[in-house]
Amino acid sequence: MRVMKRHAVLALLVLVPVAVDLCVPLYNRDPPELFGLPFFYWFQTIWLFVSAAFYMAYARLKERQSW
Amino acid sequence: MVGPDVTTGFAVLFVMFIVLGFYGKYWRRGDLNHVHEWSLAGRKLGTTLVFFLIGADLYTAYSFVAIPSGVFAKGALYFFAIPYVMLTFGVALVTMPRLWTLAREKGYITASDFVRERFGSPALAVMIAITGIVAELPYIALQIVGMQSVLTVMLAGTANAQIVGEISLLIAFIILAAFTYTSGLRGATLTAVFKDVLIWITVLAVVVAVPLSIGGFGHAFSQVKANYLTLPSSLVPGYSTLILGSALALYLYPHAINGVLSSESANKLRKSTALLPLYGVGLAVLALMGVLVFAVPGAMNFLSQFPESSRGILVVPSLILYTMPGWFSGIALLGIFVGGLVPAAIMAMAQANLLTRNIIKEFRPNLSDASEIRITKISSTVFKFVALGFVFLVPATYAISLQLLGGVLIAQVLPAVLCGLYVKSLKKLPLIAGLLVGIWSGIYMVEAANSFGPLTSSLFGTPLGPIYIAVIALAANLAIAFGGSYIKRR
Repeated sequence: MRVMKRHAVLALLVLVPVAVDLCVPLYNRDPPELFGLPFFYWFQTIWLFVSAAFYMAYARLKERQSW
Repeated sequence: MVGPDVTTGFAVLFVMFIVLGFYGKYWRRGDLNHVHEWSLAGRKLGTTLVFFLIGADLYTAYSFVAIPSGVFAKGALYFFAIPYVMLTFGVALVTMPRLWTLAREKGYITASDFVRERFGSPALAVMIAITGIVAELPYIALQIVGMQSVLTVMLAGTANAQIVGEISLLIAFIILAAFTYTSGLRGATLTAVFKDVLIWITVLAVVVAVPLSIGGFGHAFSQVKANYLTLPSSLVPGYSTLILGSALALYLYPHAINGVLSSESANKLRKSTALLPLYGVGLAVLALMGVLVFAVPGAMNFLSQFPESSRGILVVPSLILYTMPGWFSGIALLGIFVGGLVPAAIMAMAQANLLTRNIIKEFRPNLSDASEIRITKISSTVFKFVALGFVFLVPATYAISLQLLGGVLIAQVLPAVLCGLYVKSLKKLPLIAGLLVGIWSGIYMVEAANSFGPLTSSLFGTPLGPIYIAVIALAANLAIAFGGSYIKRR
């Protein structure tokens, strides 16, 4: 059971950022703007940081698991 | 013609680049007569160095040239490069450590090495090697186009600009070939770090200075049409499939796998991959230059001297030249210039590994280690000059078109390489059939989508809207590979 839960967490850590990424209508809008940038541009840029955090969590968890 | 303030910085840094490239031979010494020492730097690269090396693969002249040029000409659609890099590292994070572990155990240097042993099929391995070599060639050519754009901007207005530019490129390539020959991946890694430092300085300076000098991003966005602000809804399916298809394809390119296998451990590989989306931030800034340039009248005037089709590739260097102080432009332009050279070296190295190990050795199994490394070194030199010759002979726009086709082709090795890592039931014959159908249908659709004329579009009109061709061809390929394997099992 614990193993399954760990796998589910690992899968979500990758699937969540990826799913948001592929749901284009979610972020395909102009307002609200940030520093004059349409939402479309700044959201995708900020999402890079968010996904790096998700991925890093995956890498850390995986490291502990294999050990 | 640019002033001496620009050229001095450019020249001084280029000399430093050459020194680093040759010094690579002595860095973390190993016996460079072994293939894994020469082309994988002894599999000893840690988290940071793999981050830089793979980052250098990704952050190529392609990103400085093709992406801003696409945003400049077509608007928001070309911003797909940003979610695409985010997604590609998710794919790599899961799959590549597994490939790394197998490669370490069995001594694989290329993806074809893995496929040959996994499916017991030399034929499939050779086909995958050929696909890799062919898809890589226009990618190298594109690097050269990027370097050419820097020289074009620097030499604009001088006599014999074209000849001087071509000779400069030739000299740069001879130097590059000489240090990759002696230093292998070590030279490429050191120069990759050097290049990345320059690029990051440039990107950070641009993102602060340019919006300030033109009165904010909003000023630039107020000068462009609606399809620059957001994506027209008809292009949404195209956008998401471009993200998906390119993300699946990137880590199938031989040079990306080469970078992965040079890592020291699977855990270090995971960490550097997890951090690589941060690299995309720089890419986003560069892509935005395609819009920012509309608010810089000096750069727009300068661009209007050139024919419309070649303006796009000059956007980034001319924007830098017209908004930054001269000495800084020299640094930034050199960053872009070596930003093409370094990946070109890694790509040619990966092609050479495929040619030697997976094609020549297939027919000459008794090749000694010494001959193997010699042939690899020589062919990596040859591949560089083939790409250079290609750029001299055909217009720059062709290189971009063929790069488009290369992406469609390389995606077709996914069932054997990535699915092969996980799915036990896959069989070689269905994989071969799927690969052939994927390649054939991919080429056909690219031709049909462009009415059998010059290649500019990689989207194919379907009832669901325009869709990235690599994804359609890959779907057919996967259906055949899995369907065929299922039938054969019964």
